[in-house]
Order: sequence, then structure tokens, then C-alpha cells
Amino acid sequence: MDIIVCIKRVPETAEADIVLDAGKKGIDTDGMVFSINEWDNYAVEAAIQLKEAQGGKITVVSAGPEENNEVLRRALAMGADDAIRLTDPAFEGSDAIAMARILAAAIKDIPHDLILTGVQADDDGFGGTGVALAEMLGLPYAALVTDIQLDGDTLTVHRELEGGLEEVTAVKMPALLTIQTGINEPRYVSIMGIRKVAKKEIAEKSAGDLSLSGDDIGVKGSLSQIEGLFFPPVGEGAEIIEGTMDEKAETLVKILKERGGIA
Amino acid sequence: MEEEQQQPLAERLDLFSCIQCGKCTGGCPVSIKSPLNIRRVVRESSVRDELSGFMSRIELWDCTTCSTCAIRCPRGLRPVDVVIGLREMMIEEGRIDKTIIDALDGAYKYGNPWGRAKNKRAEWAQDLDIPNALEMDPGQVLYFVCCAASYDPRVQEIARSLVKVLRAAAVPFGILGNKETCCGSEIRRMGEAGLFEMLMEENMKNFSKVDPRVIVTTSPHCMNALKNEYEGLTTDVLHYSQFVWELLSAEKLDLKTPVPMKVTYHDPCFLGKQNGVFDEPRWIIGKIPGIEFTEFGRCRENSLCCEGGGGRMWTEGTGAGERLSEVRVKDAVDMGAEAIITACPFCLLTLEDAVKTTGNEEKIRIIDLMELLAMTLEGDAETGDVS
Repeated sequence: MDIIVCIKRVPETAEADIVLDAGKKGIDTDGMVFSINEWDNYAVEAAIQLKEAQGGKITVVSAGPEENNEVLRRALAMGADDAIRLTDPAFEGSDAIAMARILAAAIKDIPHDLILTGVQADDDGFGGTGVALAEMLGLPYAALVTDIQLDGDTLTVHRELEGGLEEVTAVKMPALLTIQTGINEPRYVSIMGIRKVAKKEIAEKSAGDLSLSGDDIGVKGSLSQIEGLFFPPVGEGAEIIEGTMDEKAETLVKILKERGGIA
Repeated sequence: MEEEQQQPLAERLDLFSCIQCGKCTGGCPVSIKSPLNIRRVVRESSVRDELSGFMSRIELWDCTTCSTCAIRCPRGLRPVDVVIGLREMMIEEGRIDKTIIDALDGAYKYGNPWGRAKNKRAEWAQDLDIPNALEMDPGQVLYFVCCAASYDPRVQEIARSLVKVLRAAAVPFGILGNKETCCGSEIRRMGEAGLFEMLMEENMKNFSKVDPRVIVTTSPHCMNALKNEYEGLTTDVLHYSQFVWELLSAEKLDLKTPVPMKVTYHDPCFLGKQNGVFDEPRWIIGKIPGIEFTEFGRCRENSLCCEGGGGRMWTEGTGAGERLSEVRVKDAVDMGAEAIITACPFCLLTLEDAVKTTGNEEKIRIIDLMELLAMTLEGDAETGDVS
């Protein structure tokens, strides 16, 4: 079973102080820590578990500059067999649709039974690349997948729906699934493990290699463009409780009692 | 693959010379509550053809790496290193607890196992105006703060107290600030040898730039790693208790204010058992005017581990029953001690938790040796304020 997993390198924002860049269309990533997009990490693990059960080959694909080799190597250390990096200055500014076009151009010539992507990316949060890619490749797909069972060439997958509902769907391969976090427990990747694959070659492909024209990719090939970013304006109703720890606790309990939070 | 790894482990640690006397298990502090039987682990890992069976033995994570087993072994073996070696194999397999993964990822990405932002590492010292060691002349004192004292609000008090003590003794010193990274002690003990090397290399680069005459650490864990495990580090490394002992011996500190309190001292394993520093902390406590000292029944080489080492800050362990830190606190309360003095961030945190879980907040408190010392430096003792 040949599986392709699309992965993205994103900045970690949980602990960071976010600052907008000069153009106010992105964030200043200087000094930020980057890692594999969380959803994609679960997708890589899902691919490895399928490979461990079925055999086959895993190819990981990522679009971006040389730094993206970090996440590709990490995936190789986890158990992927091949890695491809799609890189071209012309890719910059691509939205989910243009990115899907770039990925589709690279993937269409690689044999595959299954394509996995994360549900969404930690940075832009579009959640569009996976399903757009399926559409462009003419593949059936299931989004928000939380469980995969394989029976012949049919996948029985669980999808997470709103309101705590779970849908069970059968999808015939070749297919694309967008993987939800929590589907598995991604294994740890040790430094020794990453060192072992340090010399492994990562194939590179440019827009030209993929026969993509400037109209298909980048800002031109995108359906949406970022006009500007801003922090949500500070609203009203928040109350900062002052005082010593004991005073704060006392005030808080009083407020909670007054407003019916506690009896 | 397993066979390749098994032979080196048994050979590397000379496990074939084990006589199975059982002194290791007999002294192991967690053996009372955990399925971990260190004698059996040593035996099995030397006779089994392959070690893959160990990969599912979660009790291997119960070991606190206190190293009592290594001290008691009549053959001079280090059973604790078998546990670390087996954890290394688990790490290579990638099948480890999520909380351990998070700690390792945090150390890799942010230089601390709590995954806190790198640029907030020196926030604790913001108002203290401590010189950047990288801009100091060579031959000075480098204070290696490390992670717990940088990020944990409770442990920051140890760092602040030490700064107060060093200043009272007029010792010039600097810190690495945000350039400092985790010493890797716990990382190595969780079995991530590669990451330990990475962290060591990063710190070594800074040490050679600073070129200090001595490195003083907050934690006995960092002292042990830097002193005994950092390859090529020739600079003297001292735990603060050793450094402050020197200052007090040279009469550089004037301990004026009495601290009328009945206290006992809890030996941190990495300071006492593993590095033989038993007397200096006790000598310092003895110098404090007004203090009454009482000794634990289990003290010095026989001291009971608090269960905070060997990665146990990031994993609960399998053993049911009382935490050893709770045993420790109850013993101290029974002895009539008003405070347990200790000299390690992990001991401080585990014992303080135990004071709360045993409901002894009114009876006893946990004070770090440097906090105690700072109390005797004029002014503080009157209020008894250690926060």
C-alpha cells in the first residue's frame, strides 16, 4: 500500500508573543520555534501504522524553503521511506487552493493508494488544502477522520461531526483522508533517529519541474488573499482582580457566588 | 537489532559480574511500592537473548535514578544505568508516555522540559540587574540557574535567595540569561542520550566563551551532570551549598538575625548519595543563630528519595500507595520539626506537595537552604517571610 502524506512546517504559537510583521499581512517569525504542523504529525503516524500492518511505502511531501527539510527528516526518522520538497519562490503567497494545485502536480505522477493530510494547519487554519487536493486529483475523500479500518481496497473511517456526532463512512481507494488530532499517539522521534536519516536525500521540485505556470500558483493562482492581520480589539466586561493572593481568591469567590457560578 | 543492542548493554555495564546478592533491590526506595525489581532487571537484561520484552515494562519509569543501588552494589556495578539503557531503547522505538514526549520536545525546542518560551528564561531576574556572563571578564563566577529555577515560581525563590546571599558576600557573578539551556540531566535519565549531547554542546559553547573560574548551580542534578557527565569540562562545578560553605568558612557572610526554629534536613540524592555532599549543608544550618537541628532517622547515605529525579517530575509512576515524599513529611512532623530544609528544586517541590496532600500545612513547611540563609541576613527573619 503506497501512501503519500502532505506535511507543513509551522511556527509554534502557544508560548510565543505574537508580533505582526511590517506589512501587517503576516506575523514576525523571527526567533520563533518551528515544527511539524500538529495535525500532520498524526497523519504521518497514521500512515506508519497502516504500513506496519499492510506493508508498502510512505512518501512525505512538503512545500517550502530548505528549513522544511527539518520536518521531512523528522518524518523519515518516524518511518517514512521517501521525502520530496516542493520549492520555488513563485509558490509564495499561495492560499489553500493554489497549494493544493502545487501538491496535485507533484503527487499525480507518484503511485498512491492513499493520501493523508492534516485536517488543517496551525498557522493559517484554512482547513482547505486536503479536500481541494482530493478534488483536483479526482479522488474520493473523507475529512476529520478519527479512525481508519482497512478491508481490501475499502477504508471504513470515522468522521468527527458537530455536536459530538461520529459518522462512519466507507471510502474506496485510491482516496484522500484529512486526519484529525487524537486519532493515534504519534511516536517520539529521537535525536539519534533523526541523525540516522541525516544523509538521506530529499528530492526537490520547482514550479518548472511540475509544469506549473505563474497563473496557477502564488498570489495569482489563489482564490483568497490576506488583506491584513490585526489583533482583536480589547472589548469590555473583563475585570482584573487586584490584591494579594488571599484577597484575590476572596474577591473571586464573592463574584462567583453573586453571579450564580457557585452555590 | 535487539541482539546488537543487548550485548553492548550487558557488556558495557559488566552485568555478568553481578552476583545477584539483592543489595540493590534491598536499598531501592521505590521497591516498596513499585513492581520494579532492579535485581531482576539486571539479571534479565544479561541473560535474555533479546530485550524487546522490556519495551512494555512501564515500571521502568518508576526508577528515580537516585543511585542507591549503585552505592550499595558490592561489585561496583551501576544497576541504575541498566534502567537508563533500557529507557534509551524505548526512546529509539518511540513508544513512550505522552508526558515524557512533551518534556523531551520542550527541551529540544525551547531548552527546558516544561516547554516554556526561551526568551522568558531570564524573566525571574528582570529586577535583579545581574550581569550577563557572556560580557564578563574571564575567571569570574558563573551562576548556572537551569530550568526549574528559571521557570517555576516556587523554585525562583531559591535563585533569588542565592542572589541575595552572593551579594551579601560581595561575590561578583553573572548568568547566561536566555542563552542558557537545560543541563540535560533529566533528559539523559529519561533515555534521550542524543538530546543530552545536543544540550551539553550548546552549554559547553557558552562555558568556553565565559571561561569562568567556577560554575555554581541551583540544582544538585545540574551540578552532577556538569561535573560528572559533561565531557571536556575542566572548570570547577559546585552546588551552591558547597560554594556558600566556602564563603561562610572564609567569614564572608555575617549571619545576624536568629531564626528560632526546629528544623531537619532532607538529603537530595544527587547531592548526598551521588556526590558525597552531606556535611556542608548541615554545617551551614548549624551556623544559623537560634536554630535547633534534628536529624531524620534515615539520613545521609540512607536518606529516603523524594521521587523527583530520573524524569519522575514528568511521569507519575505506576506504584500505588503513599508517595515517599509523604512518608518524609510525616516523619518530620512526628519528630516535631517545624521545617524540612532541603537543597534541591525537585525535593522542594515534591516535599511541598506532600505537605499539602498530607494536610500538614499548619504544622510544617519546606524551606530551601538558601531561603533559610537569606532569612538570617538582616531584616528577613523578623517577618519570617520566605516568599
